[in-house]
Amino acid sequence: MTEHRSTAVRTIPIIDVPDDELARETAQAGLSFTVSEARKVADLLGRDPTVVEANIFNTMWSEHCSYKSSRAVLGEHLPTEGDDVVLGPGEDAGVVRLGEVDGESYCVVIAHESHNHPSQVVPNEGAATGIGGIVRDVYCMGADVIGVMDPLRFGDPAGEHAERTREIIHGVVEGIWQYGNALGVPNLGGDVYFDPCFDDNCLVNVVALGLVREDRVIRSRIPEEARGKVYDVILVGKPTDPSGFGGATFASRILDEEKAFDDKYAVQVPDPFLKRMLAVATQEVLQFALDRGIPIGFKDLGAGGIACATSELGAAAGLGVSLDLSSVHVAEEGMLPEVIACSETQERYSFVVPREISAEVCSIFNERFELPEICHGSKAVVIGKVIDEPRFVLTHEGRVVCDASTEQITTGIAYDRPARPRDRSVRPVRIPPDLDLGDALLAVLGSPNVSSREHVFRHYDSEVKGSTAVRPGEADAGVLAPIPGSQLGVAVSCDGIPRYGAVDAYEAGARAVAESVRNVAAVGAVPIALTDCLNFGNPEVPEVFHDFVEAVRGVGDAARGIGLKDADGPVPIVSGNVSFYNQSSTGNAIHPSPIVCCVGRLDDVSKVVTQGLKRPGDALYVVGVRGAALGGSALLEAIPEMTGDGAFSRTDFDAERRMYHAVTDVIGEGLAVACHDISDGGLVTAAAEMILSRPEMTGLGVVLDAASLKSTPGEWSEIAALFNEAGGYLIEVEPEREEQLVEVLTARGVWFARVGETTAGDTMVVRNVGASLTTIQGDAMRHAWFHGARDAMTGRTGEDGR
Amino acid sequence: MTPRTPRVAVIRFPGLNCENETRRAVLAQGVDADVFMWNGPTDELARYDAYVIPGGFSYQDRVRAGAIAAKDRVMDCIIEQAAAGKPVLGICNGAQILIESGLVPGLGDGLVEMGLARNIMPDRDGYYSRWAYLRVESAETAATGGLAVGDVVPVPIAHAEGRFVTTDPGLVQRLRGNGQIAFTYATPDGTFSNDFPWNPNGSTAGIAGISNPAGNVVAMMPHPERCSWLYQVPETLAGEWGRRRRDARGDRTMLIAPGPGALVLRSICERLFAPEGG
Repeated sequence: MTEHRSTAVRTIPIIDVPDDELARETAQAGLSFTVSEARKVADLLGRDPTVVEANIFNTMWSEHCSYKSSRAVLGEHLPTEGDDVVLGPGEDAGVVRLGEVDGESYCVVIAHESHNHPSQVVPNEGAATGIGGIVRDVYCMGADVIGVMDPLRFGDPAGEHAERTREIIHGVVEGIWQYGNALGVPNLGGDVYFDPCFDDNCLVNVVALGLVREDRVIRSRIPEEARGKVYDVILVGKPTDPSGFGGATFASRILDEEKAFDDKYAVQVPDPFLKRMLAVATQEVLQFALDRGIPIGFKDLGAGGIACATSELGAAAGLGVSLDLSSVHVAEEGMLPEVIACSETQERYSFVVPREISAEVCSIFNERFELPEICHGSKAVVIGKVIDEPRFVLTHEGRVVCDASTEQITTGIAYDRPARPRDRSVRPVRIPPDLDLGDALLAVLGSPNVSSREHVFRHYDSEVKGSTAVRPGEADAGVLAPIPGSQLGVAVSCDGIPRYGAVDAYEAGARAVAESVRNVAAVGAVPIALTDCLNFGNPEVPEVFHDFVEAVRGVGDAARGIGLKDADGPVPIVSGNVSFYNQSSTGNAIHPSPIVCCVGRLDDVSKVVTQGLKRPGDALYVVGVRGAALGGSALLEAIPEMTGDGAFSRTDFDAERRMYHAVTDVIGEGLAVACHDISDGGLVTAAAEMILSRPEMTGLGVVLDAASLKSTPGEWSEIAALFNEAGGYLIEVEPEREEQLVEVLTARGVWFARVGETTAGDTMVVRNVGASLTTIQGDAMRHAWFHGARDAMTGRTGEDGR
Repeated sequence: MTPRTPRVAVIRFPGLNCENETRRAVLAQGVDADVFMWNGPTDELARYDAYVIPGGFSYQDRVRAGAIAAKDRVMDCIIEQAAAGKPVLGICNGAQILIESGLVPGLGDGLVEMGLARNIMPDRDGYYSRWAYLRVESAETAATGGLAVGDVVPVPIAHAEGRFVTTDPGLVQRLRGNGQIAFTYATPDGTFSNDFPWNPNGSTAGIAGISNPAGNVVAMMPHPERCSWLYQVPETLAGEWGRRRRDARGDRTMLIAPGPGALVLRSICERLFAPEGG
């Protein structure tokens, strides 16, 4: 290739440069390579890389793209396969079979990512582009996006950095609704937690769910047919601009030396309007190809932009691509080739289609949907073609600026990071002897981490598309009936409690899996797949990396130990993401924060059960033995006089498996009228939430018999049993069905007890062991629950913010 | 000769995002329905029997929600067809488009007489999603013909700009006198209420939907297509519809029975089956 590389092609000198100088050079060039990584690039190429090549390797070898610290750990511990897994981790999203309708197999597509750093810096745009990025991953599998969820972790809204934290919360929530609602995908909620460890690093994770017929899944690869036929590469979407390109150092140097380069481009710019147009037009393109039986390739552009997406399309097929960067539609004149190749401009996709339909595909976007006129110069253009040899060739203004093996570019690198357990001193938890049960419950219900999330989720459009059957706030999981005319349902929930990350990383991972499974089971769905987003500090710190390994182990063990219901084997983890470096400049790392999403299947969505109480005179059953440990509990966090960080209830995989089998049996047989999982705040909090989850209907309450929770003889604390956070469920059952319920629970071998009854009084009454009564008024619970998080997030204390 | 099945055009402006489920909900009323592109041929559009402009963010809400779509070529056609008496329903952003086009309230010959302003809510701002209880105020409009004054129809709202406003102090009185106020927000038992959250956006006189003087063009902020089947209705809803939803648990047939929104769409579609001049 030397003959056509003119002297004007800039290179990064590596081979003849000593280490110290090389480190300086690469940093000045805005590359985050280590010296050894830079040398590896030159070794692979057998020469100094061009600036474009260096930038491509720099992106592809970033932690974000290469999983260089985490890949081996994930591979060792996480089960990813199963009979119903169509595509596991490796492509943009996982694909798992949901069920058959009219002889066609339908699949759920699921992707889960983080957009933590951008959301801390520019909350609105960061959270918006988080949704924008994740839905692209699902659309590009050929699916329609049917729902999103946002697990959010914020700093202490009443703490040292309250003002900034509240600004971040407001911006993130606004970014989510502005993007998601305009795009037209229902937001099924997610969860929200607060902890000072997130003061400098909020976590904005996002899950997207899609639906696709199994025979219509599109792979992110060039089709095999391209071996004997001319295939074009089409770029569609927003004109490429320098947004999201490279580091600030590089940008500044370029600014001085070359063209005007505005700082505003450090921020990726979300455009849900264009995304909506692309989604609708893409459906027509996919249908067009399908009608003609023409195989195509389709991939979204995310990190690493054009270079990353198109090289991966080639590498997956063992083919190559040759692109002319000069034919890319750009937002401004004179953009450098490395910027065109690697910028992360939002709202773009690439298609690989046979040349005979290229013009027609482009015209669907450009003429039928008028993208150039309506969306500020967005369009579809042919930017190159598929080549037979597995090389990635980029030209710019007639010169070759990149010529490397697709395999070398996409293979990535790996590190074996050292891990070291942290020193943790454990102090026993002490319950103040004069702690009043009613006061304790109101404190927990009013604490930001337990109280109602209504303030947040009412910003989200949860019903667009018309397939939502259970909305945020009504049950433990969101439920969709996504196939018109079919009773097949999809339930989804995201979980991960930071308090347990603070005490034990393994438990945090295990508990996140267990709780997400419980949440979908509590509406009657059986789990079919999991995803994980693993948020941690700096993996180069051995204690952080140890936490990471432990959390992954916890996730994997729980997925195996809890397992599927209708078949042997683990609940497969079909997709996921690792987010490291959630650590402030002062060295404060976030608690280990594995966040897990579970997707469940409902064979008959008409059987779905919500958590609000239904009528007086029903029985309440608890499933799952109550322990005594309070380490990591919401009670410990809510009561300032309580101290210690000691023993917590460990997730019991065997019990969790039996319980969810039992509960889904119960709901499937129509025996439950309400069901709620026991988690934050324990059984008594779950019971209160069942009273409070009927915002327009007051007038139902419960009577609980605390003594029924005593499972073993000997010393016993009623407070501990009521607030203990061992996994479990509360079930409301009509008296005439109690006998059947008991049969099912007994058959599954779970611990259960009749813990109380529903009443017509707007109160919670707890019968204590000593036969004394505690009565908590509905109004007091409602006030605490509706105001806790809302007041903390907004700094307001108005009476009616519902 | 069997009469032709009526055909309804569900308009897709760039950025609308409820066209598919709106079409499904309209189809369920026994008529034909197509999604019609904003740049489609207007002579073809003119042949439809009724028009629904669904929700979303037409043209990205540039300038004001609905303002650009209101000036679009297809709106000229819809305005003509509305003048000929064909039913037109605008839902959410569709309502904003009808208001911006001057079709409703339509007292001033194409003048824009009202606006749909930002929600005003205690202690919060921006977008708000919630089920609202609508009270039927006039049974004379296309959207309420199958309902009676005082009926309670729970329908979800989801918008940031749904507050009907006007600078004309006598306008609301005239609308009321003309029977142009189709729906107001109410409590679950159907009592008019201007209190949040029953009136969820601070709308003037609690207006949730209004028509033109002839009643054939209706602009409503709530989304009837999101409650056209019982499975879309929350179990926690107060009143008759919540009870029906709870009673339907476990019964597949009941769950696909019509929901409250179907009554609104049925009212529109029944007009299409009515005998000529009837």
